Amino acid sequence: MPALNGLLWLISFWLLGEVVIHFSGLPVSSGVVGMLLLCATLVVMGRVPTSIAAAAQPLIALLAMLIMPGVVGVFFILDEMAGQWVAIFTALLLGTLLSVITTLWLLKRLIGQANAR
Amino acid sequence: MPASVLSTLTSTPLFSVGLTLAAFLLGNSLFKRFGKPSWLPAILIAALLLAGTLALLGLPYTTYQQGANWLTILLGPATVALGMPLYQQLPHIRELWRPLAICLPIAATLAACYALWIAWLMGSPTPILASIAAKSVTAPIAMGITEQLGGTIPLLMGSLLITGVATIPFVSLTARLLNIDDERLIGFALGLNGHAIGTVRAFDISPTAGAFASLGMSLTGIFTALLLPLAWRLIGVGS
Repeated sequence: MPALNGLLWLISFWLLGEVVIHFSGLPVSSGVVGMLLLCATLVVMGRVPTSIAAAAQPLIALLAMLIMPGVVGVFFILDEMAGQWVAIFTALLLGTLLSVITTLWLLKRLIGQANAR
Repeated sequence: MPASVLSTLTSTPLFSVGLTLAAFLLGNSLFKRFGKPSWLPAILIAALLLAGTLALLGLPYTTYQQGANWLTILLGPATVALGMPLYQQLPHIRELWRPLAICLPIAATLAACYALWIAWLMGSPTPILASIAAKSVTAPIAMGITEQLGGTIPLLMGSLLITGVATIPFVSLTARLLNIDDERLIGFALGLNGHAIGTVRAFDISPTAGAFASLGMSLTGIFTALLLPLAWRLIGVGS
């Protein structure tokens, strides 16, 4: 049962993340700590064990479904947020446009320089 | 449906879990039927179906959510699982580490700051700022960040959806204006700003664009997750 074995690894890394946060007081989520610990472990191993791949691949494919209960919630706060939506929409759309322009402009300059050298 | 049947069904979390699975599968097949439109991601179709079903059944969102927690609990190990693709992308990071190392902190910070600044100027209260701050971060990581900041998850999800869908036309427009045709740059910008929705679009362009998009997505997620809650606490917005 490689997938079950891999799932146990993923859960252990997540729990390890909880322990790290408990002792360090870092304001991050244990999923992120677990993710970094998993990545570091794989670097040390130099390969992805089949058990971890067997559990990680289907879980990643299911991510969209796992966040659905949260996405649905937005339709139930439409009234609560009435009067705020103009600011929210403007901030998100204009903010995203500005950050897309900044990202591409920066990348073009930085990578253009690296290639020219 | 008679109320007694509904209350029997909702007494078990499996009803919420089943509804979520059904909406997800139906949303995906409709998405394919519609020809995979980039402005209407599968997750939005599924969410609309699910919200409509809940409204028809007269099932309160909180009741649904309690049952669906049985699914959401898997987000923890699923976020950890993202460490695997991150490891697999390390060769790409080495290839372009210098420009990416300069660009990422600036761009990921601005992705949050521009929106926060505009919302703040327009008078949005702190709970709203906390909910939209992680708008460019992939959902499982963004949910963790938003809980740390004290925002509301449903509003975060809406922000993610709007940001992701808007990123796609914005990136193609800007790339044309700046004369950029390097797929690595376009992919990276899609992932950095448009998280998973942008990354899916990048994989439609080419596998290289997709690899750089997932790189941009994971690095932005990690960077924001590590620094945003700290910055928030230092500035004292939350207090």
